[in-house]
Amino acid sequence: MTHSKPDDKSVLLVNAYLDGELDPANALGVTQQMDKEPALAAEAERIKALQQLIHERLPREATPPGLRGRIESSVGGLQRDRVRPSSSWRALAASIALTAIVTSSSTWIVAQSQQQPTIVADALVSDHIRALMAPEPVDVVSSDRHTVKPWFNGRITASPRVVDLTKEDFTLIGGRIEVIAHDPVSTLVYRRAKHLISLTAVPAESRFALERTPRAVNGYNIVHWAENGVSYWAISDLEAKELEDFAHLFRTSQNEL
Amino acid sequence: MSVISMQAKTLPSQPERPAMRLVASGAQDPMSGLDDNARFRRIVLPHIDDAYRLAHWLTGNRTDAEDVVQDASLRAFRAIREYAGGNPRSWLLSIVRNTAYSWLRKNRPTTVFTVDDLEAVELEQTKPGDSSGDTPEATLIAKVDAEQLRAAIAALPSPFRETLVLRDVEGLDYREIAEATEVPIGTVMSRLARARQRLMLSLKKDR
Repeated sequence: MTHSKPDDKSVLLVNAYLDGELDPANALGVTQQMDKEPALAAEAERIKALQQLIHERLPREATPPGLRGRIESSVGGLQRDRVRPSSSWRALAASIALTAIVTSSSTWIVAQSQQQPTIVADALVSDHIRALMAPEPVDVVSSDRHTVKPWFNGRITASPRVVDLTKEDFTLIGGRIEVIAHDPVSTLVYRRAKHLISLTAVPAESRFALERTPRAVNGYNIVHWAENGVSYWAISDLEAKELEDFAHLFRTSQNEL
Repeated sequence: MSVISMQAKTLPSQPERPAMRLVASGAQDPMSGLDDNARFRRIVLPHIDDAYRLAHWLTGNRTDAEDVVQDASLRAFRAIREYAGGNPRSWLLSIVRNTAYSWLRKNRPTTVFTVDDLEAVELEQTKPGDSSGDTPEATLIAKVDAEQLRAAIAALPSPFRETLVLRDVEGLDYREIAEATEVPIGTVMSRLARARQRLMLSLKKDR
């Protein structure tokens, strides 16, 4: 290992690379630079170790019991204040006006949705729904990560990270390939009770990774994160909290192939 | 970690979906037809734990964090109609963050950094000699215990602490952090890099 210190800009880029925030050209530049500069590669290892440490060992401050209830009741108070005038003729007039706007405003809604395109999220939720209706939600049926991962190898350039979360009550049931805007991407399927979770992984340098992701589409919760150069989308009808837990477990699990 | 690659192709310029879908099926659009209370339940309540955790990191103690989250929730409720889609968690967290600073400024004036202080901190960090030249090896980092780690993060100056927590604890992306902390993405990048360097340095010093 050399003792030359990496310059600030390179360190910045390595951080952004590990966070999955770089476009393809810059990501390639960083990996090439790390190959040439051991000090930079070592810095990357330290950052990864630090991130892992935070994920695994940082205590999560528990919300005090009762806080949620206090918030709900104080908001409930505001709500009652706000509801009072709605019995007046003004509210009736307003609701008629609103109906008129809604029925004539499909273009307005489309314009809105174009401001924040959610192509990936929409496509993935559609695929999730399709999978729920199909005879099998997966193309390869196996609870064994050693079977699922190689299955992807033959079909897609990027084989995803596959972890075993059986002990945490999320059972791997298999995998399938999705196609988003003509590109094949890998999707793992986990099950908790009767709920399925579709977990799609896309290289962070892909154009999809830059897209903003809503927290829910059509009532399906979505958790999106990026890690080690890969962007992940977890989609399920599980409660948002449980899906967050799943994402957290997946991120921190050591049971990797 | 294997680096994976994929061919970039052009995106279709618009979402390929029927224009009427969102309008026609109100039951499927999570927000249409909901009153403020129902919106609050959908948008804010699921993220109260995250809100509390961030408030705790920013204020440093439980009672202050509770006050901040209560305040922030009321603010979020009053602004619930202004929520325009996007990630509701980062929307709420940015409200929590702003509430925390105004709350601290009012109730704990000595703990708050002014903008000038922030600039000074950033400059301070760019001085040579306080960087990664002799930071610990990855294996050394891996041996740090939970309390050490918590204390080291808590000791970071607030601009670094909030950036690090939003990214590495809450998992927000750079753009969301930039919006929540009201700085350009470039500043998020440099704060995050420096926060991590500082943290590694102080974990090493502890040992």
